[in-house]
Amino acid sequence: MTLSTETRIGRHYVEALRERFPSTVLEEEWQTDDQVTVTVKVNALPEVVEWLYYQQGGWLSVLFGNDERQLHGNYAVYYVLSMEETVKSWVVVRAQVDAGTLEFPSVTPRVPAAVWGEREIRDMYGLIPVGLPDERRLVLPDDWPDGLYPLRKDAMDYRERPAPTTAVETYPFVNDARGETRDVGLGPLHITSDEPGHFRLFVDGETIVDADYRLFYVHRGMEKLAETRMGYDEVTFLSDRVCGICGFTHSVAYTSSVENALGIKAPPRAQMIRSLFLEVERLHSHLLNIGLASHFVGFDTGFMQFFRVREKSMTLAELLTGARKTYGMNLIGGVRRDILKDQRIATLKVVRELRTEVAQLVEMLIETPNLAQRTQGIGILDRKVARDFSPVGPLIRGSGFKRDIRADHHYAGYAQLPFDVKVLDGGDVQSRVLVRVKEFFDSLDLIERALELMPEGPILLEGFDYTPHRFALGFAEAPRGEDIHWSMTGDNQKLFRWRCRAPTYANWPALRYMLRGNTVSDAPLIVASLDPCYSCTDRVTLVDVKKRKSSTIAYTEFERYGRERKHSPLK
Amino acid sequence: MFKLLKTVIKTGEATVRYPFAPLPVSPGFRGKPEYDPTQCIACGACTIACPANALSMATDVEQGTRTWELFLGRCIFCARCEEVCPTRAIALSPEFELAVGNKADLYQRATFTLTACRSCQRPFAPSKEIDYAMALLVHSGLEADAVAEQRAHFETCPECKRHQSIPDSDKLTLGQTTTKGGAL
Repeated sequence: MTLSTETRIGRHYVEALRERFPSTVLEEEWQTDDQVTVTVKVNALPEVVEWLYYQQGGWLSVLFGNDERQLHGNYAVYYVLSMEETVKSWVVVRAQVDAGTLEFPSVTPRVPAAVWGEREIRDMYGLIPVGLPDERRLVLPDDWPDGLYPLRKDAMDYRERPAPTTAVETYPFVNDARGETRDVGLGPLHITSDEPGHFRLFVDGETIVDADYRLFYVHRGMEKLAETRMGYDEVTFLSDRVCGICGFTHSVAYTSSVENALGIKAPPRAQMIRSLFLEVERLHSHLLNIGLASHFVGFDTGFMQFFRVREKSMTLAELLTGARKTYGMNLIGGVRRDILKDQRIATLKVVRELRTEVAQLVEMLIETPNLAQRTQGIGILDRKVARDFSPVGPLIRGSGFKRDIRADHHYAGYAQLPFDVKVLDGGDVQSRVLVRVKEFFDSLDLIERALELMPEGPILLEGFDYTPHRFALGFAEAPRGEDIHWSMTGDNQKLFRWRCRAPTYANWPALRYMLRGNTVSDAPLIVASLDPCYSCTDRVTLVDVKKRKSSTIAYTEFERYGRERKHSPLK
Repeated sequence: MFKLLKTVIKTGEATVRYPFAPLPVSPGFRGKPEYDPTQCIACGACTIACPANALSMATDVEQGTRTWELFLGRCIFCARCEEVCPTRAIALSPEFELAVGNKADLYQRATFTLTACRSCQRPFAPSKEIDYAMALLVHSGLEADAVAEQRAHFETCPECKRHQSIPDSDKLTLGQTTTKGGAL
């Protein structure tokens, strides 16, 4: 794709980089008019990322490795920075890592947000981020054999399951508390989302002093699967299945990453339909989370009412896409289902109903004393922590940062759908709930406007060719934050590399700081306020560090305590 | 609190009567794929398009058959099969009650006869597919008789066709098959 230099948004970042770090930038490659990949000398990587992050208003969206030995003999690492302060664009900092030494300098000591990504690169590629403070495994299980790096091209077949090397958990949980603490485990499944995760809360009495967690119990190896078994279009349906709630967002991110890489554009009508479906998805997701928030503060009637109304948004999805989940609607080049007149009329009717009904329910929820009591000042995400860890979605918007991919970067039909990004300064659970409430009504407006402005024309672009080894980013704002996908085409009708980052991946590292200083009974609420996307906690392990004792509490008991806050199971 | 009670009373019963009453679904609902083996030509387009590998096809050379199979347990109801099917042999229905007591009931199979290659006698393509291809040619304007005359050609496997189209070296005179540049 040839782009004229004038239309390139964010070229001054590259110019400034060249000026500030002379002879560091080795290569500059533009994927779209606001996406640039700069290859820098590997030793300058931390300085370059830090400078773009803190000095230029960048946020670290995702970082990943790539086994590019067949292309140029080396591995590569990519740090994707979303530049959001002055000029909004994407700068991807890339460095080649020598296939012999496997070493590259860790960025984490300078930009804490890089910690999970670098740990994952260690697990998946066996590359060594020199200076990485946390060298524990992140993605691979404890019983995975040493020296087997699944995403290396020559490592293993996707169907292979290596024999477990250990029968016990060997993961060391980190506790930064100075004094003595008790150890409260929360897991193996998460409280609200019915997904596995092991939380270890270090408590002094009822107060959480520190927290650590182990996740990825349900790592499905999707990236490996996509690279080895599926064709380009089939991965679209796989990406739908990344999440049970924001599936459509993932497939929009995936398809637009391939579209960007190939330099093709889905027709305007398809783009607008994508935006519309994305907002429909947000409706039911936000209602789910607001409903759960009611449940966790003990307002169960509210929970039932929100879920009753949520059913309307599910019916809306069924009406528009043929299934209660907005799955299977995307293809590379556009969408598969048009919106016809009957659907348009029915959609507008449901939107009006939702607006009145939810407005009433929200009014009641806010008037409920439980809500303020249980959520105000709870689980505060400090502004500095937020800046350091690049969290996304209502979590960061509840902490006063105006970050929303829909407004920051162009994708789907959002260029024609301007809206105000809703921001609150409280940083607590309440702010996050209220941000979601406001966004819910925004979504209703956006759906109406999208129907009104729906361009005419085809909905699917066909007949394009795939060029090998082209890559680009694709992104979409899911209800819980942005999904970022990076795809590189291969030479065998399959992806060479697919990196898919769900929003919760960016939110987990900050959770530790949000839990500190709160009480044990608030923990489920705080975790739920992330609207996390992993799996549910059926029971909780409480570990008493002082007494060297651990006990397991049934989930129902823990949940009951979270709501009633009487008869502590800790005693 | 009063408002809440009012809402609750006004709503009445929110629970639907299903399964004691039928549950209506939206038009265009994507449910269980309905398959019509009489329409199917066993071309395999759906098995290639299926992202979940719910559709597959297996060839038995000894029996000279090809078996199409749908495993509902893997189906994600995306309707890609419906989209790529050239003969409308498969389409998604509004049916969503798919629970079975026996896993084997989730499989659906159809077996097709393959035509043996006229030259090497190896079965190579479903008979129905060959007939369909010939019918398509007639439909696109060729004379029915002319197409029928070519049947032997259509019933020859691609490999044999390649062999047949290589000129016999005894009859080959240089110059006939060379281009201007002299390269073959």
